[in-house]
Amino acid sequence: MRTRRLIAAAAASTALAGAVTACSSGAPAQPSAAADTVITFTDAACGGTWHAGPGWHTFQVSNQASAGAEVDLTNPANGAIYAELENTGPGTTVPMSLDLGSGNYAFVCEINEVDPIAGPTVTVSGHVKGTPAILPVTYDELYPLCKADQQETLAGITELAKETTVLAEDVGSGNLTQAKRDWLTAHLQYETLGVAYSSFAQYDGEIDGRADATGVNSPQWTGFYRLEYGLWHGQSASELTPVANTLNTDVDQLLAWWRTQEVDPLDLVRRAHEVLENALQFQLTGHDDYGSGTTLATTLANVTATRYLVSLLRPLLASRYPGLSSVYSGLDQLRALLEKEHLPNGSWVPVSALPSSTRAEIDAACSQVVQELAPIPSIADPRYTLHDF
Amino acid sequence: MISESADGSTPADEAGREEGNGGSAGSARSSGPGRRSFLRGLAVGGGVVAGGAVGAGAGYSLRGPGAPDPAAALNAQMVDGLVSAVPFHGEHQTGITPAPAPATSVVSFTATADTRADLISLFQTITDRARFLTVGGTPPPVGIGGPPSDSGMLGPTVVPDGLTITFGVGSTLFDDRYGLASAAPARLTQMKSFPNDDLDPAQCGGDLIMQFSAWDEDVVLHALRDIKTNTQGGMQPNWRIAGFASPARPTGTVPRNLFGFMDGISNPAVTDATQMNDLVWVQPGAPGEPAWTAGGSYMVVRLIRMLTEFWDRVDIYEQQLMIGRYRTSGYPLDADGIYAAPDYSTDPTGDVIPMNAHIRLANPRTPETASSRIMRRGWNYNRGLDEVGDLDIGLVFTCFQQDIQRQFEATQTRLINEPMIDYISPFGGGYFLALPGVRDSSDYFGRAMFA
Repeated sequence: MRTRRLIAAAAASTALAGAVTACSSGAPAQPSAAADTVITFTDAACGGTWHAGPGWHTFQVSNQASAGAEVDLTNPANGAIYAELENTGPGTTVPMSLDLGSGNYAFVCEINEVDPIAGPTVTVSGHVKGTPAILPVTYDELYPLCKADQQETLAGITELAKETTVLAEDVGSGNLTQAKRDWLTAHLQYETLGVAYSSFAQYDGEIDGRADATGVNSPQWTGFYRLEYGLWHGQSASELTPVANTLNTDVDQLLAWWRTQEVDPLDLVRRAHEVLENALQFQLTGHDDYGSGTTLATTLANVTATRYLVSLLRPLLASRYPGLSSVYSGLDQLRALLEKEHLPNGSWVPVSALPSSTRAEIDAACSQVVQELAPIPSIADPRYTLHDF
Repeated sequence: MISESADGSTPADEAGREEGNGGSAGSARSSGPGRRSFLRGLAVGGGVVAGGAVGAGAGYSLRGPGAPDPAAALNAQMVDGLVSAVPFHGEHQTGITPAPAPATSVVSFTATADTRADLISLFQTITDRARFLTVGGTPPPVGIGGPPSDSGMLGPTVVPDGLTITFGVGSTLFDDRYGLASAAPARLTQMKSFPNDDLDPAQCGGDLIMQFSAWDEDVVLHALRDIKTNTQGGMQPNWRIAGFASPARPTGTVPRNLFGFMDGISNPAVTDATQMNDLVWVQPGAPGEPAWTAGGSYMVVRLIRMLTEFWDRVDIYEQQLMIGRYRTSGYPLDADGIYAAPDYSTDPTGDVIPMNAHIRLANPRTPETASSRIMRRGWNYNRGLDEVGDLDIGLVFTCFQQDIQRQFEATQTRLINEPMIDYISPFGGGYFLALPGVRDSSDYFGRAMFA
């Protein structure tokens, strides 16, 4: 069984207007009273035939095969998925619920170490729409995007390495005023790369780690935030020179490491929403302000990174995610709100200094975008299909 | 305002109040009138959820009418034995009159919708979600198009649990952002700071207020999370406080507050239409009021720290003189019965109930002060510690009335220098208008306000 995140079945983000339209339309979708249908699959067969009218329906999917399996309910014509169950264990029975619309359905059982098998095609009659099927995104579709991202990020790190070299020179020469400017440039470059969680392995912690676990006085604490803390807390050039040099060295090591890496498709699709989730948690709260007051600039860099990632995935999302245009308009709105806090002298308004109404607007805009970004990993999560075998 | 509001009720009033609880308290954990509402509402709720997917473009489409009743019955069974639903639709919001449910959360929001149209959408979404959440039902299972539509913290089926969601607007909503200035309620202002207040601006005011109340805290939080998820971008939380209503101890219907006194002994009777129309509901044609406010009710929220360690070091007789009631029984100091009305005419100089006792100032029981009575609802809040290790606990005071100046402010003004003020510290809250009720499935919060 391949490792993959659990995909939960759900509607896309619930935009304001959507719920409204539906309410005034009146007619509800709701649980059906029909008894559950049992689908039993084995190594040899993906369930038998079944009968159900349109409406809310629950299948009890029983794994009587020899191994764990994924079970999808698909449109046999094109492989689009209505509902899926991941990681059902042998001997277990798991419910799968959906709103059955009119059309053709076939279960596909992907048993570990066995080629996937399709069950019989069943037609649900009538002219009723139900849970929509979404064409799975395949690994083959994502690999080229991963390659493109690897190259794009390589270029970004190359630029970053130049900037941290300049920064180390500023600090080494004792020009801390210039160092503050160049710190911001380099840090924003890093934040534009769209790193989230483990995509840079240990390098992210070394280059952009917080003092949460170590405390600000620990020699274990390195990277941009450590340097920021020193630059904006009156630490001397001699004290900060090794800090800046270590940062520069760590970025060089990242660059060398990255040349050898391939981007994981799973990682790519998750970063599309995780980068801004982190901005909401650490930047818009002010948590990651170690003295420069530039967390709004960091958030803006994260917006740029997110827009890049979404655009990379756009060819896959355009036909699958109707909320995509809202994502773009939301990112644009957030960008515009953030740019207002970039002062003519080049400095940024710290979040702690924002009027509460402005802060509410920015937080609301970011919260809306992350809500609308949330479906992207579910939709673009790479899936195998019958055609892959 | 700790101990009681403007007094003036009788035991009969109290019985009436219980009767009027609409399933939240009086008929709790029994299948009362709420059941039918739940069944009726289920269909609507399901539709709303599916509709959310329409808006997000997930490809959902609404199916034709004809909700199969067996499905509703099935879900009714699933909630059998639980607290039934409080009907959502009505002339007035239905969360105002019930006695305080055991768990509550009051949340203030800043409106962040870009346009008037977006604000209307926001109010419609709040209506739809409240309509679903208060009756319960099963959130829709939907494809592979995103994360779950429900937090799951109540299991696969959302139970009503007596949930009410009361929705109000603050004076700041009527500035120039949404073209609502001409619709501003006549009696809505910013909350006044009284002489002994210590208001924290970060915990005051708000364009919008929502109060979630239910029999269990998980249901309150589930509802809040649902509303928040579905309104991201349209409104931004501003401040929030959670509260609980104590059981009546040892018996009876009146809960004790954190000072150990029975609290909220008397109120206007919610089943007495005359009292409610005289005191609580904004009346059609009220002088100066825009027509849309009729059926609404002005809502005051006051967050009041209670210095319980200090209070506990006060002699019992002094405590009782400050309140005007016996701590053990709740009786007025001059009477033998919890609902007995104190007779101030026989005590003109305050020998029994001091002139500055809380109950005497709050409600002097004179013809002149009768119209200043309020309908009081209170919960205890329970947070952490202060800087010296004293408990940060107190009162989430709410009250409803048709005129804040005539009622709450007049009452509070009489209380300004009551002796109890040394033991409390109001630090937050706001003035709001709880909107008129949502009449039916095609109505929504604020429809007339936007008209």
